Amino acid sequence: MNAPDRYERFVVPEGTKKVSYERDTKIVNAASFTVEREDHTIGNILRMQLHRDPIVLFAGYKLPHPLQYKIIVRIQTTSQSSPTQAYSQAIDDLDKELDYLKKGFEDEKTRFEEKLRQGY
Amino acid sequence: MAEKMLGGAGASRTSYQRYPRVRIREMKDDYLKFELRDTDASMANALRRVMLAEVPTIAIDLVEIEVNSSVLNDEFIAHRLGLIPLTSDDAMSMRFSRDCDACDGDGQCEFCSVEFFLSVRCDSDQTLDVTSADLQSTNPRVCPVDVAANALSSAADGYESAEQKGIIIVKLRRGQELRLRAIARKGIGKDHAKWSPAATVTFMYEPQIHINEDLMETLTLEDKRSWVESSPTKVFGIDPNTQQLVVIDAEAYTYDDEVIKKAEAMGKPGLIEIYPKEDSFIFTVESTGAIKASHLVINAIDILKQKLDAVRLQDEESDMKELTSHLGNL
Repeated sequence: MNAPDRYERFVVPEGTKKVSYERDTKIVNAASFTVEREDHTIGNILRMQLHRDPIVLFAGYKLPHPLQYKIIVRIQTTSQSSPTQAYSQAIDDLDKELDYLKKGFEDEKTRFEEKLRQGY
Repeated sequence: MAEKMLGGAGASRTSYQRYPRVRIREMKDDYLKFELRDTDASMANALRRVMLAEVPTIAIDLVEIEVNSSVLNDEFIAHRLGLIPLTSDDAMSMRFSRDCDACDGDGQCEFCSVEFFLSVRCDSDQTLDVTSADLQSTNPRVCPVDVAANALSSAADGYESAEQKGIIIVKLRRGQELRLRAIARKGIGKDHAKWSPAATVTFMYEPQIHINEDLMETLTLEDKRSWVESSPTKVFGIDPNTQQLVVIDAEAYTYDDEVIKKAEAMGKPGLIEIYPKEDSFIFTVESTGAIKASHLVINAIDILKQKLDAVRLQDEESDMKELTSHLGNL
């Protein structure tokens, strides 16, 4: 009866930002990014990509509660960089990886279909 | 050089991008088996999760029942209709009803919905099956998947088998009738599982098997046989000619450690080492038929890209924060 609408799990409510960013008050070059309506899918690939960047000293994410549809990504970097830069860099790299993967998959698909056709 | 001295801000930085490789092993319309290499488990799992819950399809979402004198109640029938997979090749380009501005929020226009009609009445003494084949679609591109498959196969070989009856919705006896109008909409598996295009998506690490050949030499044929037998799946075998131990199917290994324990029990620890290759995955994708399995993978990559684009920092916002933080430091 009073169940929340199912779409609340993936539709960002009006007036709220998809990504908000808050600097850490105690540690330099550290910040938390709150990403609304995302889960482990994005959180985990982002964290692993950040770990690949040597400028990143710490990267982690958490899903605070299964009924709060948001994740918090925490990043600390060296003084040469900033968390926002590391965050954007990670997304750029993942984006490029997926572009490469898509092209690779499509090429492999046409190659495979060609092979099947020749087999008949 | 100037870039290096600037350090971070504004300078173009080294990329830590990976270049994953794909090799397809088996491909049918509703089944796909492929290898994914040179990436990590986070990417493999993200793809799996997106395939299951975020690649859109079309499914019946709203049912208006005109007459229902069948034995099943209205909501029961509505639920069964929702679970019928519909051909969803157009789903990626279709609009979600909630973002559709052509209709005023009722989600019943041609851009975001497909209308179905069903009208069946039983007038014989025999039980009448109401199936997915009785659903009349207003858009020929969207229809129940079994109906679409039958249209293709019967066009090819020109006969109808007993199995080509469609998905049963309800059974009617003499005098019973079912008449309804249904609206199918675009949706994702996260909203309701009826929109999930995937029956199963799994991936496994590719096992890497190292046999200590010197130690293996010390085993008698009898020992080898009993060691091969200790594996619950058929991973190893013995070559009948050379009586040498061979790996028949490394992927049959279920990481159960039985052969390792057996080697230890035989007093030959280190006979074998098996570990998962952390950057190599074997995927199996099974589709419900709503979209082809290969499209499911491609769509998943696209959706994941869209999701990443959505979580980018808005430029003005981050720049302002950066600026104020610098001013604060001064």
